[in-house]
Amino acid sequence: MSREELDKIRQDAAGWHIASESDSMDWDGFTAWLEADLRHAAAYDEISLTDGAVLELAADPAHRAFTETPAVVQAPGRVRRFRWVGAGAGAAMAASLAALLIVPQLRTGPGQVYATSDAAREIVLADGSTIALAPHSRLEVSGADQQQMVLAGGALFDIRHDPRRQLAINAGGLTISDIGTRFDVQSEGTNLRVAVAQGKVAVSGDALDKPVPLDAGKALTFDGKAGVSQVASVDAKAVGAWRDGRLTYDNVALPLVAADLGRYAGTRVTVSDAVRDRRFSGTLTVGNGDEAIRDLAQLLGLRLSGRPGDWRLE
Amino acid sequence: MPQDENEQGSTGLSQLLARHRAELQRFLVARCGSAYEAEDFLQEMWLKVGQAQTGPIANGRAYLFRMANNLVADAARARHRAMRRDHAWLDQEGGGATAPEERVDMAEPADEAIARRQESEVLQQAIDALPEGARRALRLYRFEGMGQAEIARTLGISRSGVEKHLALAMKRLRNSLADCGYLVRATSEGSGGLRGGEPREEHDL
Repeated sequence: MSREELDKIRQDAAGWHIASESDSMDWDGFTAWLEADLRHAAAYDEISLTDGAVLELAADPAHRAFTETPAVVQAPGRVRRFRWVGAGAGAAMAASLAALLIVPQLRTGPGQVYATSDAAREIVLADGSTIALAPHSRLEVSGADQQQMVLAGGALFDIRHDPRRQLAINAGGLTISDIGTRFDVQSEGTNLRVAVAQGKVAVSGDALDKPVPLDAGKALTFDGKAGVSQVASVDAKAVGAWRDGRLTYDNVALPLVAADLGRYAGTRVTVSDAVRDRRFSGTLTVGNGDEAIRDLAQLLGLRLSGRPGDWRLE
Repeated sequence: MPQDENEQGSTGLSQLLARHRAELQRFLVARCGSAYEAEDFLQEMWLKVGQAQTGPIANGRAYLFRMANNLVADAARARHRAMRRDHAWLDQEGGGATAPEERVDMAEPADEAIARRQESEVLQQAIDALPEGARRALRLYRFEGMGQAEIARTLGISRSGVEKHLALAMKRLRNSLADCGYLVRATSEGSGGLRGGEPREEHDL
């Protein structure tokens, strides 16, 4: 077999492997490709093993594979817009645009306010930390070191750990502090959910007896009205998956799920008092918002009334 | 109440598995090259979806295929780890620093950490040598945990551009690992082709 032929096989194998993580993967085509030649499966195995080795390297804290500056480097004040590309046809969110910009170095004084409508937005802090602000959300950043934030709505934080900076995020009546690395926050009124993908955070507030430490793979949900908080395990990989149009829940109160659908699917969902206490576990794909709400209603056996764009679960 | 929902979810997945059983089996046979192993993997899937706390899943069929694909990959990865330990052993032996009578028990695996470090160094160098675009895409994908759609947005390129960068990165890293003998016999027994191939193969970078 020629070198070129082998190289082509490896190239195809790598292509299939990368595509396999997408919702639009052609599994029948992949099966046919594997069946076409025994060397295909072997080449695929090698690519898959290589990726496994890369993941292992990435997970090793002792190893710094990249020392360069972050990829998102833009001239201050310049805003670039990209069309939001969903993961597969179903996940393409209508009218979703993401914008990147650098937050200018702030002086003490009134904070900088970022508010989104239908589009998510990426905010890069002066130290290279990034915040993906969800649609229909608002974030206020203040303090000399951009260390004070107030969030209403959702955001995925990717914060560079700096022990000298006392970063605190206020959301849903609680304070998130002692922050290292990657976590997602969703707040709606007095409901709050904090999920940690990497590193750890602490959540504190008057409504909590003492600060609650959260490690990677843990999430805290807080219902301010009922005064109830709960810590549960989450799939760290699913944290922040809203950016790819996926919302994953494990035993989460229905009003929070409804609020998320409102935010990410761009449609209003109200929840009747009779079903407020219902909880939901599972994954919703926010391709077409109305569809996700129908899925939710069906899965929980709830009655859905209203009309597209303004639904009521009862 | 939550139990009901979970049950509903996992029951749905089991039904889906029953419905797609034949094509999943066919995929597994093609993927791992052995009908026997494929059957084991399928059994594992039944167990997994029976216990799954996943609830509803958007694209259940794709979810099951991905699960099957990952099970095969995990098994190959476990074999790879075992092989890597042996590899580190051989390297140390090959160094000739230890006289045969001073060697510790041959059955004792070499330090896993040493093996990992050796492999990491090979990978590290290969990553450094990647073209700029492929390197950035790989960094965001595997070291920053971004999804492909998000990388496309971040780098301001198309989704297929991201796939091309990542595929190129994987192919080149594969070549570097293969050059250093890391992929030898790591893959499944029971099928022909490249498996157990020569430690140093020719390839285009």
